[in-house]
Amino acid sequence: MIDLSNISKQYAGVAGSPAVHALTDLSLRIERGEFVAITGTSGSGKSTLLNILGLLDAPTSGRYLFDGQDVSGLSVAESARFRNRRVGFVFQSFHLLARTSALENVELPLLYSDRASIDGLGQRALEAVGLADRMSHTPSQLSGGQQQRVAIARALVNEPDFLLADEPTGNLDAQSAEEIMTIFRSLNDAGRTVILVTHDPNMARFAQRIVRLDRGRVVSPAPALQEAR
Amino acid sequence: MTASRLVSQGVRAMRRYKLRTAFMMLGSLVGVAAISFVMSVGQSAKVKMLRTVRQMIGDQSLVVVGRGSRMMGGAHAGAARLTIDDIAAVASAVPEVEAWDPSAELRTSVRFGDASTTARVIGASERFERVWGRGVSAGETFDASAVASSARVALIGETVARELFGSQDPLGSELLIGGVPVRVIGLLERYGIDLHGMDRDNEIVVPISTLMRRLANMDAITTAKLIVRDASTQDATERDVRRVLRERHGLSVDQQNDFSIISSIEVQQMMGTVQRALLVYLPLAGGIVLLVGGVVAATLMLGAVNERTGEIGLRRAVGAQPRDIRDQFLFETTLIIVTGASIGVVLGYFGAQWAGNRMRLDVGFSWVAVAVGLLAAALTGLAAGVAPARRAARLQPAEALR
Repeated sequence: MIDLSNISKQYAGVAGSPAVHALTDLSLRIERGEFVAITGTSGSGKSTLLNILGLLDAPTSGRYLFDGQDVSGLSVAESARFRNRRVGFVFQSFHLLARTSALENVELPLLYSDRASIDGLGQRALEAVGLADRMSHTPSQLSGGQQQRVAIARALVNEPDFLLADEPTGNLDAQSAEEIMTIFRSLNDAGRTVILVTHDPNMARFAQRIVRLDRGRVVSPAPALQEAR
Repeated sequence: MTASRLVSQGVRAMRRYKLRTAFMMLGSLVGVAAISFVMSVGQSAKVKMLRTVRQMIGDQSLVVVGRGSRMMGGAHAGAARLTIDDIAAVASAVPEVEAWDPSAELRTSVRFGDASTTARVIGASERFERVWGRGVSAGETFDASAVASSARVALIGETVARELFGSQDPLGSELLIGGVPVRVIGLLERYGIDLHGMDRDNEIVVPISTLMRRLANMDAITTAKLIVRDASTQDATERDVRRVLRERHGLSVDQQNDFSIISSIEVQQMMGTVQRALLVYLPLAGGIVLLVGGVVAATLMLGAVNERTGEIGLRRAVGAQPRDIRDQFLFETTLIIVTGASIGVVLGYFGAQWAGNRMRLDVGFSWVAVAVGLLAAALTGLAAGVAPARRAARLQPAEALR
């Protein structure tokens, strides 16, 4: 499904300092139905990789094929449509709209879709994460774990091709983190592709496959091994 | 994003950020309230002023006011007296004076049987109706012989009639003005409330000689109204009248007038100035308030874009196009300002009704004011929203989410 080849990302250095190489010549394939954890220390380039996977940012060079189609050169509008239909983002800090009900938060991606009717989709997504009884609650009335479940429901509501979770348990206590990972696990069991970015080995173990990054390169499994797959 | 989704998102954002919304509304609320208030009150005040002025001054007339009269702010020590003879001399020396009526007045209690009230008693000549344009609705006016003989006859206003006679017909009855019996021979035409809020139907008109000799002991009149034959030469006529009065009062060149002359032309010019102030400068001030409000709203909204960077990043991440973000902030700004303006329209309307009540004006509802106010607010909102909307739309999603 996802085929990254020779992706590099450089950020222009500030005021004459040398350019920062966030990713260097990175290649990665992810198949439909996989649960992949991308790990690495901070500064390893995993957030940059997540942004590129989600088309929030464009690589400096390299090619990104999605279902065989090159998406690295999409226009701003096409990228937005891609994110809306194909990607479900889950963030460390939830990014829920304050003073807005769980249901309205979940429905947000639907507002930007070209669906004629959005009735019932938000409710179904909340039911899927076990929050059918919290639909009218605002984020401040929900626990951290519940807030992240709302965010997962939001990521699911538009039936995306893959979920892209950026440290989704980073702001949660151990028990809530476990719950959230169990949800990802069961979503994957039901056939959903999940890409998890985390520095935490305890969370990474929920994945089928772990890709370790260091200074912008894949270090484990060795790229050669990956090619062999 | 569809229009209906845009609207519901805008309304939700207003509710979500109540305090900011309130501050953003303030400018358009005050500005538009001022505009609609002034346009509503101003219009009816203008109509009323013109009517009153026409009744009081008319189109071509001069009103001579003696120094020492109440109209000029109380008696001055040593004030010269304005007499009927003064005015009669003017009328005979200045052929341009077509008709004239002297007047003096007194506020006193009037009684009929057990009923009593306080009324304004005006002394006038038989030319009262001709000069002041106010006749009788029943009965008749008094004639020159009544004035010559200081006849005890009176024309009474509606309020006086109601207070003293109730539903009884007052014509022919004798009432007591300060103890002096006077026969009612006519009912004055209805006038209503004048610009000063005075009930002009609570008046009694008697021959001026009756007022000056029988009801009071006066030898000077307060005012005289002179009708001028030709409006185009009214300024010259006014100079002639002034010259004759100065001669009669024996004023030397370096002495100031001991009377004043109010010309209908001057009054009309003054009215024009007042109207311009009311109908041009106040809405202009309202417009400036609106403008300042727009600048404040733009600043607050720019702050909101910074504060809501995460929200913008999220919306971009879930599929919003830059133009969706732009439309959202543009619409939100406009919606808030137009909502403020709508509240302003309502406040302006009630304010105008309240002021109308106090000023005894019949204030209508000005659709023009509403349309102008809301349109101005909508334009202000769009203008105020441009900068925040552009800044919001330009945010890079990856950076906004950080």
